[in-house]
Amino acid sequence: MAQSSLDALLKGSSGRNTRGLLRILILCTIAAAAVSSRLFSVIRFESIIHEFDPWFNFRATKYLVQNGFYSFWDWFDDRTWHPLGRVTGGTLYPGLMVTSGVIYHILRFLTIPVDIRNVCVLLAPGFSGLTALAMYLLTGEMAPSPSAGLLAAAFIGIVPGYISRSVAGSYDNEAIAIFLLVFTFFLWIKAIKNGSIMWGALTALFYGYMVSAWGGYVFITNLIPLHVFVLLCMGRYSSRMYISYTTWYALGTLGSMQIPFVGFLPIRNSDHMSALGVFGLIQLVAFADFIRSFLPGKQFQKLLTYMVFLTFGLAFTGLIALSATGVIAPWSGRFYSLWDTNYAKIHIPIIASVSEHQPTAWPAFFFDLNFLIWLFPAGVFVCFQKLKDEHVFVVIYSVLASYFAGVMVRLMLTLTPIVCVAAALALSCILDNFLVMSTPKGAAQAKANGNESKSLRSGRNPLVGIYSYFSKAVVTGSVTIYLLMFVAHCTWVTSNAYSSPSVVLASRLPDGSQFIIDDYREAYYWLRQNTPDNAKIMSWWDYGYQIGGMADRPTLVDNNTWNNTHIATVGKAMSSREEVSYPILRQHDVDYVLVVFGGLLGYSGDDLNKFLWMVRISEGIWPDEVSERAFFTARGEYRVDDQATPTMRNSLMYKLSYHNYQSLFPPGQAMDRVRGSKLPTETPQLNTLEEAFTSENWIIRIYKVKDLDNFGRDHSNAVAFDKGLKKKRAAKKRGPPILRTE
Amino acid sequence: MKLWGPLFFLLSVVSGVLSAESSRNKFEKYHSLSRSAPVDLNSASYEELVSAPRDYYAAVILTALDARFGCLMCREFDSEWDLISRSWNRGPKPDGVNVIFGTLDFDQGKTVFQKLMLQTAPVILMFPPTVGPFAKVDGDPLRFEFTGPISADQLYSWISRHLPEGPKPPLVRPINYMRIVSVITVLMGVVSLFTVLSPYVLPIVQNRNLWAAISLIAILLFTSGQMFNHIRRVPYVVGDGRGGISYFANGFQNQFGMETQIVAAIYAVLSFATIALALKVPRMEDVKGQQLAVLIWTTVLFGTYSFLLSVFRAKNAGYPFFLPPF
Repeated sequence: MAQSSLDALLKGSSGRNTRGLLRILILCTIAAAAVSSRLFSVIRFESIIHEFDPWFNFRATKYLVQNGFYSFWDWFDDRTWHPLGRVTGGTLYPGLMVTSGVIYHILRFLTIPVDIRNVCVLLAPGFSGLTALAMYLLTGEMAPSPSAGLLAAAFIGIVPGYISRSVAGSYDNEAIAIFLLVFTFFLWIKAIKNGSIMWGALTALFYGYMVSAWGGYVFITNLIPLHVFVLLCMGRYSSRMYISYTTWYALGTLGSMQIPFVGFLPIRNSDHMSALGVFGLIQLVAFADFIRSFLPGKQFQKLLTYMVFLTFGLAFTGLIALSATGVIAPWSGRFYSLWDTNYAKIHIPIIASVSEHQPTAWPAFFFDLNFLIWLFPAGVFVCFQKLKDEHVFVVIYSVLASYFAGVMVRLMLTLTPIVCVAAALALSCILDNFLVMSTPKGAAQAKANGNESKSLRSGRNPLVGIYSYFSKAVVTGSVTIYLLMFVAHCTWVTSNAYSSPSVVLASRLPDGSQFIIDDYREAYYWLRQNTPDNAKIMSWWDYGYQIGGMADRPTLVDNNTWNNTHIATVGKAMSSREEVSYPILRQHDVDYVLVVFGGLLGYSGDDLNKFLWMVRISEGIWPDEVSERAFFTARGEYRVDDQATPTMRNSLMYKLSYHNYQSLFPPGQAMDRVRGSKLPTETPQLNTLEEAFTSENWIIRIYKVKDLDNFGRDHSNAVAFDKGLKKKRAAKKRGPPILRTE
Repeated sequence: MKLWGPLFFLLSVVSGVLSAESSRNKFEKYHSLSRSAPVDLNSASYEELVSAPRDYYAAVILTALDARFGCLMCREFDSEWDLISRSWNRGPKPDGVNVIFGTLDFDQGKTVFQKLMLQTAPVILMFPPTVGPFAKVDGDPLRFEFTGPISADQLYSWISRHLPEGPKPPLVRPINYMRIVSVITVLMGVVSLFTVLSPYVLPIVQNRNLWAAISLIAILLFTSGQMFNHIRRVPYVVGDGRGGISYFANGFQNQFGMETQIVAAIYAVLSFATIALALKVPRMEDVKGQQLAVLIWTTVLFGTYSFLLSVFRAKNAGYPFFLPPF
């Protein structure tokens, strides 16, 4: 009885419905797992925005929600980049803010009282659920069996490579961009399979959304044309391809030009030229295809091949000529540094200084992808078996993205989706064969299909199946072990590495209890409550967004890094002597200087460790006044102790970091726990600034810039006078140093 | 007694004029030696060129070109130096600014190297004028340090920074016609070779197995951190201090060249085992053979993955997961 009812459930049309229902249930479960595994940080700490960039996005979203879309579009922000300001509305990708604004207004409309902060914090986990769905659809287009799609959805749901950028609170462009990336690719595959204008237009629509959301849209802009180009070279031109590509290109380019930040880049910038070139090429090929109907086949084949090569050559030389004459802007620096890997280090230190632009060592791949990393090549191999149009896409994407991920750590994010697709293809191939209960009835059953001569060697024989239950059990068992380990690995990595807000640091006390280090917020709230509303804060650019978001004070430079000279000015002020720095501080109306110092706690991400980048960046602008060499000892060491060079010890950054630090220790015992060195006994003498605030663990130190002396004295004289050293100074005859140089 | 003052003044004026005269002659003399390329110097002429009364700038490279000194940077930079000198001498210069470019090879100027106590080469010294409108108070030379391989553009911007304001000739790299011609020839050769050989080459180019192999190798190389090696120039292997070699670098952000190759090999074995299980085994018709193949490949997969996990644990001390054998 039970047997027959089960039969009724699993066979025929009701069986299909049951399976559909199961699939929906599984997908919902995966989405729920994806969302909940990203909530570690909210549960451990609180609902808080993380890191640096998200603070700006959060601030912009608040502005959008309060002032409406049009004033957001025209927003000129005078509280950043003092005294320049920033045309914020025209220099950001608005997709993220608009998305959360829309969600916020919908929830309000449904009378759900929700704070905009919670919308922002939970946006990334919410979209990761959608990514899992999009991944199911994309993989479903690649493989006949729906199990591959479900596996891929499960993989992308919990893989650390994606979680790293989408935990709750990590309110960054990537939060929605990966969903858009995967979904755009799904629509593109759909379009090229069906050759329908509708799918092409939908691709363009989501491409436009992607352009509005993330600068990484250039990846799509280049990958789709490359796919088409490779298909053309393989001689697979079809009207389906023509329809879908031209629809996508025309509508997508128009759509992307609506974003003010992108503007006319799609027709002027070299990053976008491949799309334009392939657009022209496909017109020629379509024309050639038209001619084919009038020519005998053999001649035509030749004509086509030559035309492909000729046009490619012509377009390439044309591109070079136009770039050389300056009609087309040269490659943008970030993009260029992907190909010439030493370019950034020499020409744009500000790009090279960002830690997520460093190359990737192999443990990072394994850390972020676990066993998917070795299923990945197998999955690509499986794609070569049938090698339909969509499989070509997987292959191109895999090779390109793994190159990019090797060059830059942050591009691991673009590699992750295709790794999930390929790994799911390989694993479903195994499971589909080994999870079949029935045993094949000998060689007689071998079918004669799938015997194309073009196919790969390993796939040439007909599919038979697995005979013994023992083999099935062994393989299924070991795969289950790997899958369980994958889940354990992802949970461990997420909870240990990717769930710290980095605004709040957590450490463990000797008894094992958690100890929260909350210096950043302590200092920012001090600024908010104790300084005038328009006090200008100078700090290294890493902290600009946080100061703007949490302390609500104007800053000189921030993480937008659009003006290298302004950043170099701050770097010069930090790396020069006080006599040089003070005029710079005065000229820029600086009221407070904020430095991050980890010496007491052993917090390695502090300003002294970033100091060399400040020196390098300012050396790029003022090579005569700042020299990196002068910060290294004769033996080429970067030291902060007795052996430190005079330039180092007189630099403002050094003084601000160690000012009064020696008083914490018994004489001669002062230790810097980050750099592991003993400090000089004497504390650095600070003349032009005075300590205003130091946080509990000394991570943040804030100094007030002194006003000009009331008696018109030089600051060092005034300090010497206060200390009672006047006679020693008075004995020397010296003209009063001029304070203001300009 | 009163006469002495004006006389002294007169004398000093005359001597100043004379010295200016002699330094003008000096400039003409060295400038005529070589109109565009840098002047080849020896110890004596170097001393004369940089001696005190001079109304010109002198930029001298102290280098060691001979092969037995093994100074790769000297030889690489020699052509760049030549380029700078030629560019300067060809273009329009600000009025009254004269620059002599000189090359002092170690073979010709041992005494100069000893006097300056130079241990390294190349070094670039730039002497500002001591008389004339651009004279500097102290005639001490400026010194350019080579911190690594450097292009003429960087040095040229350094030099022109230390020259007086004014329009300066741009650095012009001569067009390398030889290279253009050779590139075009090679391209045409390749195209015609391809056309002639296409019946034999096309099957290879269109071979799916070949492309699969290329893609897989590329992916394995990239995902095992080969680009990191290329960018950071990591050592291939490093001794462990006890006479052996350590195959794996300490720390999560470090790796050696050989380490990445081992990892790539591990990945390759794992992938191949997966491919065998997914594609080959279900196509075997022999019952016993299939059973055996399943066992072998599953064991290989399990053992290699266990080894990979143990390697990863060694790199990342806090990692809690492992599989039995290793």
